[in-house]
Amino acid sequence: MNVYLVALLRILAALGLMLLNGVVLIYMLRKVLGYLHVRLGPMELGPHGVFQTLADVLKLLTKEDPTPTHVDRALYFLAPGIVFVPSLMAYAAIPFTGTWVIADLELGLLYTFAIMSLLPLGLVAAGWASANKWSLIGGMRSVAQQVSYEVPLLMAALPPVMIAGSLNLTDIARAQSAVWFWLPCLPAFLLFIVAGLVEANQTPFDMSEAESELVAGFATEYASMKFGLLFLSEFSNTFIFSSLLVTLFLGGWQVPFVPVDALGGWAAVVFLIKVYLVIFVLMWIRGTLPRVRIDQLLAMGWKVLLPASIVWVMLTGAAVKLWPMVFGGVQ
Amino acid sequence: MSWFGSGILTGLRITMRNMLRGPITVQYPHEKLEIPERARWAVEMKPDEDGNHKCTGCLACEKACPDFIIKIDVTTAEDRSKHIDRWHYELGACMMCGLCVEACPFDAIRMGHDYELARTDVAELQYDLLTDVAAAQPKRKAAAERPAGAERPAPVAAPEAAAAEAEVEPQKGGEQS
Repeated sequence: MNVYLVALLRILAALGLMLLNGVVLIYMLRKVLGYLHVRLGPMELGPHGVFQTLADVLKLLTKEDPTPTHVDRALYFLAPGIVFVPSLMAYAAIPFTGTWVIADLELGLLYTFAIMSLLPLGLVAAGWASANKWSLIGGMRSVAQQVSYEVPLLMAALPPVMIAGSLNLTDIARAQSAVWFWLPCLPAFLLFIVAGLVEANQTPFDMSEAESELVAGFATEYASMKFGLLFLSEFSNTFIFSSLLVTLFLGGWQVPFVPVDALGGWAAVVFLIKVYLVIFVLMWIRGTLPRVRIDQLLAMGWKVLLPASIVWVMLTGAAVKLWPMVFGGVQ
Repeated sequence: MSWFGSGILTGLRITMRNMLRGPITVQYPHEKLEIPERARWAVEMKPDEDGNHKCTGCLACEKACPDFIIKIDVTTAEDRSKHIDRWHYELGACMMCGLCVEACPFDAIRMGHDYELARTDVAELQYDLLTDVAAAQPKRKAAAERPAGAERPAPVAAPEAAAAEAEVEPQKGGEQS
């Protein structure tokens, strides 16, 4: 088949997954948060409100899209795209099974992190262009938190990389056939969850939109589908972060005691189930914990998470080097 | 026991318990709770066994109402029988204290159980509970106790009935206070 056609189909598949994931996650978020708060969530449209998201999407599409008078027009219209495109690009290296990956990159992990670190750029652009102080504060906060948490996040991702000896996400997942990396890298696993929550703008750390303080932060002045894109990208980031967590620490598409060949095409389903379980845990955390202050967040990032992740990287490095020497080439 | 981070786990445990607890709310327009028997909503007529109203037009409720929202227009005919032209009740100003119900000597009104009283127009909050009906004859103890053969002609009975009513009323009021 034509190479370009294949590439186009893969991009469309990623786009479809992203949109579908957005629809599923909005419904899931409302239901899970509802039940955590002893409510029911949406109940009116369809059985248990399953069509609520559909109605919301239609509403977003048909809504009036006013542009405030003093916005920086170029940036204002560009910002949702700057946020949306990296979110879409980040799907490229995620391995759904050993063979189902949009682009099997040798530096997959590095690529994903590099792409994800473009996000704060779009957020601060949105905040700046809105000509609104709350939006600007939201944008600045997103830069402050996401840039500072990028470091511990990457540091926490290093131990699995060191054990697997590869930056290719498929290889890292495959290396967990014996033991999933969350067990030998438990501190890194916890650090990754915390840093990932910040990166994905999830609630205990969602200072950049902080509903009760900043209205909706960088998204305040956006309406209609421009807001939809910002929102979609946020849900997509949650998905990306969860799939990274599953790939790095929870064995990717593998199930314990079941040979990979026996799974066949179900491996992708296993992967998605794991991803959505992780997302459920994130929502559980979101429905439980109150928002921390921005200074507490940054202090925790620089003074706790970063040193802890560096220490754990050093320990893992020593262990990876010492293991063959002590146990004679078991690794 | 409180080690670092235990508060987070406690919080997570509590929310998970809430999640597994199931819904405790009622899906209101679709499901409704039975409201308590003594709930006080809008005033309504309390019919007797035959479905007729029991209001005698004595105006006790009108006098008892602290908000002055009950207005009963009564016409007294020459034979002293009463006719209720209009039993007006303004729901919009009612505070549902129930004093009118307590004041009624003939048990003719009650606080209803219909709580879906929102209206789109203020004018719809004006209720006419009775219009243009004959007032009920007060049921006197004396009438029931009197031997069946000893009935006297109506014209003579009417003034006595009014007198008997006047006697009965303070007694009833005394019992209630």
